[in-house]
Amino acid sequence: MIPAIGASLPRLQTGNVETGLAASGASPVGKTAGADFSVVLSKIAQDAVTTVQSAEAVSIKGINGGATTQAVVEAVMEAERTLQTAVSIRDKAVSAYMELSRMAI
Amino acid sequence: MADPLLSSLKIASSGLQAQSTRMRIVSENIANAQTTGTTPGSDPYQRKMVSFQSELDRVSGAQMVSVDKVNRDDSPFILESDPGNPAANADGYVKMPNVRMLVEMADMREANRSYEANIQVVKQAREIINMTIDLLRS
Repeated sequence: MIPAIGASLPRLQTGNVETGLAASGASPVGKTAGADFSVVLSKIAQDAVTTVQSAEAVSIKGINGGATTQAVVEAVMEAERTLQTAVSIRDKAVSAYMELSRMAI
Repeated sequence: MADPLLSSLKIASSGLQAQSTRMRIVSENIANAQTTGTTPGSDPYQRKMVSFQSELDRVSGAQMVSVDKVNRDDSPFILESDPGNPAANADGYVKMPNVRMLVEMADMREANRSYEANIQVVKQAREIINMTIDLLRS
């Protein structure tokens, strides 16, 4: 896991993420100066996995004739969107980490 | 506050659902356009009509659409002279369904166009969402 990029920053603006985490009962980010960025990342990954799994379930239901075509397409599209967002955020985080590691000291 | 873009995806999806139901009713009408009764003077298949209603989605506060109910068309049946038909009355007339092909075709085309419009909404919303996510790359 990536060890707390935000810890090196004075304050991490994670207002939106914070509300999302509060609902799931995870430790709030931002108040602890972004100490747990890895928690955010793992939650995003978890969300992506759950969405993809439910999309697969709906697809199989659609093949068996239990779900409408629209429902299948909608579920798959949502999975794609979640995965895309997760990948983008991960890439951004990784590139920020690389940037830090390349910093001239 | 729910994401408006995700809400529009949901709303368009409800539109797709509603138009699909309409399409089903049209196909029922067309398939049963020649369905007569079985006993003399009995009523044939009665044309069905679909009506929509708007429905508030409490989570996102969006107005979705749903099929209100499927009504029966009370317009008179078409009388056709066919004395040999088992459904013919004493005068030799058979009541044919009150389905008019032209009306059904127009209805079908309209359902098709509405479906297309909703698909366009989905496409545009998806494009906007993807554009926004792409801001993270570069």
